[in-house]
Amino acid sequence: MVSLVLAGVWALAVILSLNIGSVPIPVRTSLGLLADRLAGVSSGDPLEAVLFSVRLPRVLLGSLVGAALAAAGTAFQSLLRNPLADPYVLGVSTGASLGTIIYSIVIAGTGFATMGGGLAFGRPLAAFLGAAFTVGAVYLTASGGRKAADNSQRLLLAGIVLASFLSSINVFLLTSINQADLRGIFYWLIGDLSRQVDASIYPVTALVFAGVGILYIFSHSLNLIATGEEDALILGVEVKRVKTAVYIIASLITGAVVSISGPIAYIGLICPHMGRMLFGSDNRILIPTVFLFGAIFTLLADTLARTILSPAELPVGIVTALCGAPLFIYLLHRKGRDK
Amino acid sequence: MSGDFILEARNLDFDYRKPIVRDISFGLRPGTFTGIVGPNGCGKTTVLRLLDGIIRPLAGEVLVDGGRPLSRMRRREIARLIAMVPQNGGLDPYQTVLQFAMLGRAPYLSRFGFENQKDEAVTLEALEMTQMTRYLHARVTEISGGEKQRLLLARALAQRTPILLLDEVTANLDINYQVELMRLVRRITREQNLATLVVSHEINILGAFCDRIILMSGGRIRFQGSVGETLTREHLKQIFGLDFSIRRLPGAGVEVLPVIHEETSHVSE
Repeated sequence: MVSLVLAGVWALAVILSLNIGSVPIPVRTSLGLLADRLAGVSSGDPLEAVLFSVRLPRVLLGSLVGAALAAAGTAFQSLLRNPLADPYVLGVSTGASLGTIIYSIVIAGTGFATMGGGLAFGRPLAAFLGAAFTVGAVYLTASGGRKAADNSQRLLLAGIVLASFLSSINVFLLTSINQADLRGIFYWLIGDLSRQVDASIYPVTALVFAGVGILYIFSHSLNLIATGEEDALILGVEVKRVKTAVYIIASLITGAVVSISGPIAYIGLICPHMGRMLFGSDNRILIPTVFLFGAIFTLLADTLARTILSPAELPVGIVTALCGAPLFIYLLHRKGRDK
Repeated sequence: MSGDFILEARNLDFDYRKPIVRDISFGLRPGTFTGIVGPNGCGKTTVLRLLDGIIRPLAGEVLVDGGRPLSRMRRREIARLIAMVPQNGGLDPYQTVLQFAMLGRAPYLSRFGFENQKDEAVTLEALEMTQMTRYLHARVTEISGGEKQRLLLARALAQRTPILLLDEVTANLDINYQVELMRLVRRITREQNLATLVVSHEINILGAFCDRIILMSGGRIRFQGSVGETLTREHLKQIFGLDFSIRRLPGAGVEVLPVIHEETSHVSE
């Protein structure tokens, strides 16, 4: 039910975002053009090109990326029993961006502007490896050589430290690339949806939907793990298996979308938080609703980013960070007060 | 050992980390309330965790439900046979009392499943048994310590298992709540024909409520049997190094009180 309503809201947000931009396209025109396209006719309207090759892909990409990051955030929060865990805060997004950059600059040697070919699969794969490596490193750092890294505060701290370490490597690698590439990569590192999309969108989309589907299967197990790992064991969850699977899947999803959009900050923090306030903490409800929330929120944030200083465009990551950082501080404050 | 045990520990050893336990063997029967008692760090909780398969023994095995080895069962299957109230059960602050107790139905849900009417009925029954129905829609953060323990017990009862394990459930409770909780557990043990095992260092509470007692110290079982057989002055002196005054209660229980000489002399000053 809730998901249906949210899907409706998302559709409205899509239509709204399609209309707003440096070239406004009236609602009736865009709906007419969409209907024409579905019917297989071309009206020859100059706005058609803007709609189908610029705006629509971007709107859909924003939705996909937002939905994926929000779902990954929800999963990480249950897993680590900490409402502050999010792919960006944990350094997973930064790890994924490092993977992408290493692959683009060092391994493929093509730089950043080049698209297509093997890069379409290489970049998401490298981003996943970067993300997975970071999750492992964060976990090991937090556990400090002991067996269990149960303390989720340490985990967050380790994530933040590793993220800053990895972004300095990012910046170091960027010194080697040419000026033309630099602006694009700079925007991408903040989280940007304006870059053109190549064939990598297909594996990434498939991965996001499959991954979130699997997360949904584990949603009640995640509810139990959120109350405590020992409680989850007592109540029949194969805790180790579920944790490993969810870690890998959440990293995979994050890596996949970061390889396209860059590490957009705090979506995985904001959207689950809104979801929990409105619908409670049951992951069986939360995961699908947050998935849609992520799409809606990112879409609106990106629309804002590309219109607020029109015709200049801001990277969407700036808007999400401006919303997310205060929320993070608020949550931190509240968590401290609860104890 | 005979075959009418529903849960049986055979020669369990555990020494990956402290406290270590050695050669633990005993059995639990339906309808019987058993207590493990011993000084801090004697390995009581470790034994309980071994029995529920949360940790694995280095040697020996746990047999459930007519001799099936626990080590070969999946967690979900174990959760339908053994319920446990952990010492520091976590509570999700966003949940209501009913939602939290309903977690006990997890071992019965299908992959994509939400709880059905039967799950809700079983949960409500468990909340009724523990006298928690008046808090159904209260947040778990709004209830007292004693109510929290009853809620954890309700979750365990919602699992509908023949075996119930309780870890230091009376810790941090005022004495009136301790007595109330133990009375409740004993009554449910009888009514539901459960094999109940409680671990505690509250020797007086266990003496008053349990049918059988296992006395542990230094990671080993020193004595086990009926309350009257095990809780004797000689045994307790050996384990705690203190004198106890022991009085038989009507029924099978005993009242155990430590005799603290120094304090007595202070009072008489």
